[in-house]
Amino acid sequence: MTFREINSKIVEATVVPGQRLYSQRGAMLAYRGEVSFTPNVQGGQGGVMSMIGRRLANEDTPLMTVEGSGTVLFGHGGHHVQVIRLTGDTLYVEADRLLAFEGTLQQGTMFLGSQGGVMGMVRGQISGQGLFTTTLKGQGAVAVMAHGGVFEVPITPQRPVHVDPQAYVAHHGDVRNKLSTALGWRDMVGRGSGEAFQLELSGSGAVFVQASEEKL
Amino acid sequence: MYGAPGGGPTVHDPMTLPVDDNVNNYTFCVELKGSQWFLQKGKMIAYYGSIDFNGVGHGRLDRLVRTSFHSPLHASDWVVAEGSGKMLLADRAFDVNSYDLDDGNLTIRSGNLLAFQPSLSLKQSIVPGFLTLIGTGKFVAASNGPVVFMEPPLRVDPQALVGWADCPSPCHHYDHGYLTGVMGGLRALTGLGGASGEEHQFEFVGAGTVLLQSTEILMAEQATGAVPHEPGVPGSGAGAGGHGGPGAQSGAPRLPGQLGDLQRRFGL
Repeated sequence: MTFREINSKIVEATVVPGQRLYSQRGAMLAYRGEVSFTPNVQGGQGGVMSMIGRRLANEDTPLMTVEGSGTVLFGHGGHHVQVIRLTGDTLYVEADRLLAFEGTLQQGTMFLGSQGGVMGMVRGQISGQGLFTTTLKGQGAVAVMAHGGVFEVPITPQRPVHVDPQAYVAHHGDVRNKLSTALGWRDMVGRGSGEAFQLELSGSGAVFVQASEEKL
Repeated sequence: MYGAPGGGPTVHDPMTLPVDDNVNNYTFCVELKGSQWFLQKGKMIAYYGSIDFNGVGHGRLDRLVRTSFHSPLHASDWVVAEGSGKMLLADRAFDVNSYDLDDGNLTIRSGNLLAFQPSLSLKQSIVPGFLTLIGTGKFVAASNGPVVFMEPPLRVDPQALVGWADCPSPCHHYDHGYLTGVMGGLRALTGLGGASGEEHQFEFVGAGTVLLQSTEILMAEQATGAVPHEPGVPGSGAGAGGHGGPGAQSGAPRLPGQLGDLQRRFGL
């Protein structure tokens, strides 16, 4: 139980020697004990090659390493915070939404075109993810930021979930996503419903949706 | 807080408004029964009853000001509400909370304090930008996000600090640990790798309570006392519905040191 939600905008993290945390730079609100905050040149885990990969993929959010022993309060920009616990599966999330995550998680970068080719890239543009997204894999907890409160929508094989691309925060599990369009002649003449693009997620897992259509 | 189940929003009248309590997270209701409250200019959003608002410096209030307002620096930003009725206080939809002091002391960022009872006395803290309240009574303060109470020993991001009570020695803490050694020196010389943004904190030790807000974004300082420059406000110099930019302001430019400013300074 590394992360504990204090209120909707603050998480408390327990730091113990030998276990490091990564957090967004400047996101510490207060701490107790002897804790050091070191800016992380590589922007996360892995060696120099992963750093270059993240730079190229534009997923290199400024991170810092948090080490020592004590408790740290994290919060950033007044955004709502959601703690997601991973048990072996992979979380797909934009790097700038990461408030803090445990060092036990494996950080990676994924090319959206590898999920559905050109449509995957189009999907990334529509949902504001860009061409790449960050993946976190393994056992551990992640604190993710969102505009407005976050709720978790389970995805089961029988019930695919449709999400507004702007309200999409993250998803985990064995999930395929595709962009479903409902473009009609009304959109062409400027009388559309404003919901022409939707993200359709199917498979088994969960998607996190924020209560706002504003990006961070 | 948003109404009975099945019903619409709760409609309050003078009877159902709470007495000296929060109406919702962002609004606080004060009941006046011939009593007085100090409040920061512009934080009253509505009132019932007959309430007078007089600037600090109004002749009749001299005695009150002498006993419970010891901050000439902020005199122009404060008024005294007097009369009977109920008034609602809010500040730009920031979270608002009331705090009770019982023969105690609390130091708070000056922009966050909205109102206080005259049984408390307001003083400027030695720490610039902070105000200290001493005595017994209630005060109302705003914060960006809910307030968290923490016990020392604790180190706090300077921007997240709202205030503290009873802590004997607030001080600065600098941590440049990662800038030492060969790699650290290289980092400091070249600027490569950037800074963590957490090299400086406020440190609190000893007995007391520290108040934190939920984000490191300060509540923006807002000029009080002037009519806001926006459409629909008479005398503000802005067009009724037009997009009059800052350059399109009418009327004579106000120079610093003009009589108007002097009057405001003395709260006339």
